[in-house]
Amino acid sequence: MIELRNVSKTYSTGTEAVIDVNLHIKSGEFVSLVGRSGVGKSTIVKMLVAEERPTKGRIVLGGWDITRIKIHDIPLLRRQIGVVFQDFKLLPQKTVYENVAFALEVSGYPKKYINEIVPQILMLVNLSDKSHNFPDQLSGGQQQRVSIARALAHRPKILIADEPTGNLDSINTREIIDLLLKINEYKTTVLLVTHNREVVNSLRKRVIAMEDGRIASDKARGRYVF
Amino acid sequence: MFFISTSRVLKFSWQHFFRNIWLSIVTMTIIVLTLFSLTTMILVNVVADYATNSIKDTVDVSLYFDDEISAEAIGVLRDELEEIVEIKEIKYISADEALLEFKNQHEGDDVMEATLFELEQNPLGATLVLKAYNVEQYPAIMKKIKELKIDELVEKIDYEDHELLIKRINDFTDKVKTFGLIISAIFIFVAILTVFNTIRMGIYIHRKEIGIMRLVGANNWFIRLPFILEGLFYAFLSCFIFWVLVFILLHFFGPKINFFFAEINFNIIDYMESNFLNIFGFEFIIIAIVNMISSIVAMSKFLKI
Repeated sequence: MIELRNVSKTYSTGTEAVIDVNLHIKSGEFVSLVGRSGVGKSTIVKMLVAEERPTKGRIVLGGWDITRIKIHDIPLLRRQIGVVFQDFKLLPQKTVYENVAFALEVSGYPKKYINEIVPQILMLVNLSDKSHNFPDQLSGGQQQRVSIARALAHRPKILIADEPTGNLDSINTREIIDLLLKINEYKTTVLLVTHNREVVNSLRKRVIAMEDGRIASDKARGRYVF
Repeated sequence: MFFISTSRVLKFSWQHFFRNIWLSIVTMTIIVLTLFSLTTMILVNVVADYATNSIKDTVDVSLYFDDEISAEAIGVLRDELEEIVEIKEIKYISADEALLEFKNQHEGDDVMEATLFELEQNPLGATLVLKAYNVEQYPAIMKKIKELKIDELVEKIDYEDHELLIKRINDFTDKVKTFGLIISAIFIFVAILTVFNTIRMGIYIHRKEIGIMRLVGANNWFIRLPFILEGLFYAFLSCFIFWVLVFILLHFFGPKINFFFAEINFNIIDYMESNFLNIFGFEFIIIAIVNMISSIVAMSKFLKI
């Protein structure tokens, strides 16, 4: 489902953010990508959503080689991947309902379909009663659930969560992780990027650890020991 | 799909306009103030035109006839002069009318009144006053009059006295026009810059939103169009509000402004009413184009990948 082959990323300043990374994530897997801040985890996420291009190597996502993806194809790619960010990235002038619906509106889905799907997704993340609220009226945990709901709107095969619990307390962190696990039960591939040791160690799922831009270890039932 | 997208874009524009209402109000206020300075510039140019035309209107050429020349002979000459295409109007002033006018002009002048009293008969002859369509045509008229060979009929033509004045008026009005154009160009440039920067600032404020929309999979035109349409709303609403204010101000101050410019026959209310569509259309088109270009330019930075 996600394949990186000899991928490197060197910025124009000379910084080598990612060095010769090889990894393969199968469909339906739940994988944690861990490491200290600055080891290249977010760079990998940016390359997966085509916000950055690799300097070397190939990236294949769901069978689509996105290494040299054309600019006008990037929106199409992003509609097929669900992404959740540490800072939620919700549209502040839209309600919870509108934020989730927006992901479908950009794809041109008709209003009737959107009106059927969005309530279902909000129910999945337990936010049905907050559909008319704006993001600044929600707690951090609720905002992150809206972000997850939006990421799920067009039923992506892959969900990438980049430090989704970075701004949350332990209770909300647990809720978000449980939600991600629930999504994975529906066969969605989940890539969790985090430096939260407790979360990773409690999951007992595959753990890929990075150090200085390289893959340091890749264990099926790993622990984050750095 | 096209119609779904169009209706969504319109919905997003409208939603964005109202949900950022304070930013919308500030933006429209700046546009209204810009329209105020643009319209003032237009009116200044118009008043200058009226003033220079009013001055030009005072210029004419008078043919003074000897008092022995009959009205019939003058009538024949008048018919010949009417063949000259550059002449807009020919006014006949009889000898008696000329004397009355002379007395009115010199009312209170004891010496002149005493002189007239001494003369037993009217010393003045009839006059034909010729007006051209515009001041630049007088030399051509004079040339054609000379070809008619009317020296025996006409005692005096006062064109030579006015020739220098006419030249100076022409030079002055040309300079006023040129100056008006330069000032107008500066005003328009400043107006465009003001609106351009206002719209750019508005979009800069929304840069994070634009980034989020890109990450969710919106293509560039899906992101751009609502902002462009919002710019058109600003343009239309601002022009509408401005013109409502203008007509309210004209209602209260129009008569006073008309009185101020009475000497040059400039009626601001009539002018604004009869040119409303032209000026509104011109201003709306300029502001709308500037808004659209500003939106596109401002967003191009945030839509680069």
